Amino acid sequence: MPKPLKIAVYSGEIPSTTFIERLVEGLCSKGLLIFRFGLKKRKLDQLEHSFHYTYSNRLSKGLNFLKYSFLLLLFNVNDKRKLDNFIKAQLKNSFLLKVKYYPVLYHKPDIFHLQWAKGIADWIWVQDFGIKLAVSLRGAHINYSPIANLELAETYKRLFPKVDAFHAVSKAIAKEAAKYNATEEKIKVIYSGLDLKKLEFNSKSFNSNTSLNIISIGRDHWKKGYAYALDAMGLIDDQDISFNYTIVGVDNNEELLYKRSQLRCRDNINFVGHLCFSEVMQLVRDADVLVLSSVEEGIANVVLEAMALGTLVISTDCGGMNEVITDTKNGFLVPVRNSEALSDALKKVSVLSKDDYLELTQEARKTIEQQHSHTQMINQMNDLYHSVLKEALCE
Amino acid sequence: MRIGIVLPSVPAYSETFFVNKIKGLQRHGFSVVIFASSAGTKEFHLSKFKLAPKLKGSKVSIVFNSLYILCLSFVFQFKKSKRLYLLDKKDGVGFLQRLKNIISSYHIFSEPLDWLHFGFGTMVFNKENVAKAIDARMAVSFRGFDIGVYPLKHPSCYQKLWTKVNRIHVISDDIKELVYENGFGGESEIIKITPAIDTSFFNYEKELHLAKESRFVTVARLHWKKGLVYTLEALSILKSLGYSFHYTIIGDGAEKERLQFAIHQLNLEGNVTLKGKMEHEDIKKALEDADIYLQYSIQEGFCNAVLEAQAVGLLSVVSDAEGLSENIINNKTGWVVPKQSPKLLAEKLLEVINLDDEEKQKISKSARERVINQFNLTKQAKEFINFYE
Repeated sequence: MPKPLKIAVYSGEIPSTTFIERLVEGLCSKGLLIFRFGLKKRKLDQLEHSFHYTYSNRLSKGLNFLKYSFLLLLFNVNDKRKLDNFIKAQLKNSFLLKVKYYPVLYHKPDIFHLQWAKGIADWIWVQDFGIKLAVSLRGAHINYSPIANLELAETYKRLFPKVDAFHAVSKAIAKEAAKYNATEEKIKVIYSGLDLKKLEFNSKSFNSNTSLNIISIGRDHWKKGYAYALDAMGLIDDQDISFNYTIVGVDNNEELLYKRSQLRCRDNINFVGHLCFSEVMQLVRDADVLVLSSVEEGIANVVLEAMALGTLVISTDCGGMNEVITDTKNGFLVPVRNSEALSDALKKVSVLSKDDYLELTQEARKTIEQQHSHTQMINQMNDLYHSVLKEALCE
Repeated sequence: MRIGIVLPSVPAYSETFFVNKIKGLQRHGFSVVIFASSAGTKEFHLSKFKLAPKLKGSKVSIVFNSLYILCLSFVFQFKKSKRLYLLDKKDGVGFLQRLKNIISSYHIFSEPLDWLHFGFGTMVFNKENVAKAIDARMAVSFRGFDIGVYPLKHPSCYQKLWTKVNRIHVISDDIKELVYENGFGGESEIIKITPAIDTSFFNYEKELHLAKESRFVTVARLHWKKGLVYTLEALSILKSLGYSFHYTIIGDGAEKERLQFAIHQLNLEGNVTLKGKMEHEDIKKALEDADIYLQYSIQEGFCNAVLEAQAVGLLSVVSDAEGLSENIINNKTGWVVPKQSPKLLAEKLLEVINLDDEEKQKISKSARERVINQFNLTKQAKEFINFYE
């Protein structure tokens, strides 16, 4: 039996975001050995096949440093010397770099899978020690960070050609990454996967005579485009469409508070702070329509979840959203930065018949089942890892 | 007359508004003291200034310093401290907060004053009784953000103020309305004094030559309330219609990334320059190099930058946010467009670009004249003297 692959899934922190945790879980169940390094934020149960080498406070950093300095001296002194020389050349605090790097060097995974592209300059060195580097291309790190930060754009252009494999969350982001010299053949689009058994489809009896229950979900950030959503609410209010709108994830944003205060329909608009996943899912189930007003996204997970649950989605056509939503087929797609188009779509939804609503949401569920299942994602990721190593063998 | 002005920081010389107000009062024989929370600028010779006690650093040093100041106030300012303590007590302020209020107002106690004037509404919190404690009258200025945005996060934050303040200064009629909307019941007099600019500094009669390429300019912090994203969206409509233009934004701030992304996404990279912060002298030059001034704010007190643009003879297109519709008389000294609608702004810009030269000159001239006559420093100084008398 071949030795199982050792994969480091690295996001800097443990536990990481929901979708990275889900990825780890799936990969472990595939029999891959998953190594996790970085800062421990809180306790997380170790799954079978998953190994944590973490640190938290200053003391554990120190102990970690001592342990791995010793182990490397004992078993791999040449590599340690090589890495120390590299660290010396960096401008950063070398102790912290050693705390971060030594465990990775010692455990030497077959593939180091970096989840956030921004960190690429910190990890490109792993290739000098026979470790393959895979990088995920997700939302902001590709879509706008390098536009605002030209130095980062230069770093991408310089280092992307060296990366062994890319995982792109959408076709759109793969295209965007190509602008920074990512080799196209090395990019594989793997759509985010959902555990569909946990997200059961709910056939809603949509009633166009009751007030429209609208929801948006996402963190408090300009890229979510809530300003346009509020403008759109003002417009549908002008047309006497009765509605309730809730934004979850935002509770004290000055700009949005001000914009709401300017609207006649301000009492119908609620801002709710951070909620846990199950509460959010319940709100999505209860809503008639989920609005994604973003100006930029990879593919928004919350849209996938709403589509799985049977809640109709209106989304802006940003990032990879048009790879999931086909306008008027399984949801509505509107141009970015266009509150009028958004309000038109809301108006269309408000007069849908129960049957039309159901047809759209059933289509949406089908899309998710075909394109965004958890199993599919894990299989594709597994293939990606194997193909990287196969290529290496051929070389 | 002895006036004390409470500000977040000692005004820099570029903050013409305060500097000129102070100069005007002094010329009239008033004495002025500034009470600031932080120094900001190192050299300030215009008037006496006093800094609020700094309570920063480790817990030990904060406690130590607080006790020290508390001792000083009870030894040297016993009467005023006691009065403040009792007034706060009457208002139901908690014991610890009462002590804190004494500490944070200690720097004000030692000055004999006729008026204690809070330069922004937000400077007033926990100092509502200080004027009475030192036997001075109390004035507060409202300038926009403090009454338009701050109370949204802190409802009823001025409730206590309304019964204590002797005179309220607002910079526009819309701000006055907001004061009423925030629970003011006419307990004292409200006086409007609009901002003013140094019209001699902007003494420049512009030859408008709206040639092939329109040159737009905005001077603003990169802050959401300035509506710069909407402005960019309007300009992208012009671009899609084949108009050629250049837009310069002067200023820096938290929204830079958002704007950079908008410029990229709207395909305006060749049409827009983010200049960052500039010196007053350079701003003037940049204004002189432009034809149309844009101020499509979401929220705005009055906006000095629009006054300066008019003084230089630019054509101004602004939103109808609060004081802006007073700053510009629609169709006479510029154009006022309903806010938050890129489409309407784009339509108006097309209209302005396509006006004949004579009409443009007429608007530019009336704007300039109106600013010179109505928004000059001499007039403002007089109004402030009346405000206190």
